[in-house]
Amino acid sequence: MSDPVAQAPQQKERVRKGDLQKVVTPEHMFFEAPRETQFITGSEAAREAIRRANVDIAISYPITPQSETMQQAGYLYDEGYIKDYYRGEEEIGVMAAIAGASRSGVRSLTATSGPGLIRGLEAISSWPGARVPAVLLDMCRVINTPLAIQPDNIEISFLLNTGLIVLHGENQQDFFDYPLIAFVVSEQVDVTLPVVVSVDGFFVTHARGHVSIPSADIKLPPRDGWKCAVPAMDNENPPARISRDAPIQKSNFISYHMHASWQQEVFAAVQRSARYLRKYLKGLVEIVNPDAEEMIVASGSAVSQSREAIRQSAELGRKVGLIKIKSLRPFPAQEIREACKNVKRILAPEFNQAGWLHKELCSTLYGYSNAVIQPGPRVFGGMTMPTEMILEWLEECRK
Amino acid sequence: MSLETLRVSPGYEHIMPIEYQDLINHGPYGRQVKVSEMGKFKEIIEEHPMCAGCAMSLFIRLTMIGLPTPEHTVLVGTAGCGRLSISQASIPFIYGNYGDTNAVASGLKRGLEIRFPNQKKDVVVMAGDGGLIDIGFKHLMHAWFRREKFTTIMLDNEVYGNTGGQESGMTQKGRILKMAPRGKQVDKIDAIGLAKVAKVDYIARIAPTNPARVARTVRRAVLVAREIGSSYIQAYTSCNIEYAIPTPEVMKDAFNVEKERYGFEEILSDRAKEYLNEIEKKDKEKK
Amino acid sequence: MLTHENLELTRTQPDGNGGVQFLYRVKNYGVAACSRPKEEIAQINWEVDVIKFKDANTLNFDVCHTTELAANTLTFHNDKSLNEFLKKAFVYFDELNVLEGMMTK
Repeated sequence: MSDPVAQAPQQKERVRKGDLQKVVTPEHMFFEAPRETQFITGSEAAREAIRRANVDIAISYPITPQSETMQQAGYLYDEGYIKDYYRGEEEIGVMAAIAGASRSGVRSLTATSGPGLIRGLEAISSWPGARVPAVLLDMCRVINTPLAIQPDNIEISFLLNTGLIVLHGENQQDFFDYPLIAFVVSEQVDVTLPVVVSVDGFFVTHARGHVSIPSADIKLPPRDGWKCAVPAMDNENPPARISRDAPIQKSNFISYHMHASWQQEVFAAVQRSARYLRKYLKGLVEIVNPDAEEMIVASGSAVSQSREAIRQSAELGRKVGLIKIKSLRPFPAQEIREACKNVKRILAPEFNQAGWLHKELCSTLYGYSNAVIQPGPRVFGGMTMPTEMILEWLEECRK
Repeated sequence: MSLETLRVSPGYEHIMPIEYQDLINHGPYGRQVKVSEMGKFKEIIEEHPMCAGCAMSLFIRLTMIGLPTPEHTVLVGTAGCGRLSISQASIPFIYGNYGDTNAVASGLKRGLEIRFPNQKKDVVVMAGDGGLIDIGFKHLMHAWFRREKFTTIMLDNEVYGNTGGQESGMTQKGRILKMAPRGKQVDKIDAIGLAKVAKVDYIARIAPTNPARVARTVRRAVLVAREIGSSYIQAYTSCNIEYAIPTPEVMKDAFNVEKERYGFEEILSDRAKEYLNEIEKKDKEKK
Repeated sequence: MLTHENLELTRTQPDGNGGVQFLYRVKNYGVAACSRPKEEIAQINWEVDVIKFKDANTLNFDVCHTTELAANTLTFHNDKSLNEFLKKAFVYFDELNVLEGMMTK
């Protein structure tokens, strides 16, 4: 009769602000919704993207100063834009938990940078094979000793052959747009893959830039856990004595052939994502001065430096072209081959020692272009890439 | 899973495999089966490739019988002997990277709670001693500290069986094994003690000597995890290969070890006790 | 947001240290305002120089610390105070350009 629990005053539910947002189509979010320009940091741009991304769960680990984004996600959780949130034990734990959360069929997000990415890499590189749609924001940071927080994107080279979709943002605007696009593409049924959105940390995350954003009262449609290339691990499927993870088990149970075809399918799915990325990113590449004989090909913040270099070059009366690569996986081979058909000299400025983009370009253009592909300029470990450096390299290769 | 949608539509029985029909019509879904009924229902696990006489395979089989709601359970495992069998279960099984079980289960359980607010989904981790206490130690402890609502079952064979017999943190001191050529130098890790420190709501130590008790313990652990907090079962599941126990003597060994150092022990928090009492009282009333 | 009046160019900071540079121009003179990345986001500010352009056709310039506006690099902690400075500077540059024109004649 007098149950104290039943009679206790009901704790008033806090209003979840996410519930007050209106769901809009991706097309509306990306192309139609009125936008307002703000001058904000990359971390703030990412926060605004997450606010509109209808995220179910965000799992964090501190790697400040590089990645303030995940503590921002904490505030968004507190306000009710994210349904669940916690700080994990470290990156392996976080990346594994994301694999678990995504398998349950909910929209999952985390962020890390440099050393954290490498620590969690075993888990991250197992995501594609497990076909878990999720988004990882990656603020590139030096991983080699000695420590630094300057942008050095060597870590991207570790991601290129994992079966992940890898986008590389140039600036704060990209760090708003790409994460939203990443969720939509990641959850397409014929894709069902995780997406990494990398930006060169510090320059993008810790500096302000112009970002044009739609209002905060709209959000993307939620993830539909029933729409997936493989069933979610929710036990809502007919019982069978083979789990979806079984085919990717040790090969003494199934033929190596099956394992190989599973991998082939993962990489085919990466290719299939190009169709969606072309639409939402408005092309996998952006080309400036397509008719130039000299072309700078770059991704990340090297693009910003290159933009200024070609402007200065134009002042001196020389037209130089620029190809901004937005998506590294899928790699826009077709677009680059077409754009470099008649180019004589190519410069590949990079913020890393290994020159992974240069290698990509060489293998992509071999047999398709007679251009000389310069292995640089390259800076790393926190070195700066002044625009003069790019202009000097251009001058040098003309000799 | 929705049991209604799984039933074979009349007239299509000849298309669906017998295996499937048996699981739906005679499986443990939608009802609590008992150990004493074994042989009279279709089990979650039947065939498996584990060694003859393996105590672990027996324990896993009993675990599946103990699950209170197998149709809403997801299993999480890792590299090790156990997964060879668990992956043959008719329950979804997540096979992650080595040692990541309790991190994966944390994300999975929270995701399932978001997606199915009106249907409790049980998450059960079943992994070996190496996977949990060595490589997965941090995830195990932190999941407990966070009071994640899932069950962890350690299949403690006191050795790395699947990789060929190396010492683990749960190996007893002095045992000569691979990587312990002069005998293990340090004590077996007190995982039960760690669970107590982490204030795990339900802790049990058990050997597979009493099948009904195994099933009952699993059921209680899963129920506590469903509503109260973390639960942990540590089960002695000897490796008859690496410890050279003759197959016919596996159970004798289990009884001996149980008597010497692996006696049944259940440690419940007050909340867990109260909750289980309530459920078990209701069960009795039903009868 | 900084004013767009007399804004000639917004570009990445050419020295390669990150951040953006806003170039304002009133004929020969102008202002270079730079917002750089900082380890603590709260420390992000504007580093501002008065500049003198080298010629009419390009944006090449020298830093000019000899005007009455600024004898060194100025720091502004928000957009509002910088906008006020810019407003003042534009008027000053107009006058300066007229004066210099008269002197040449």
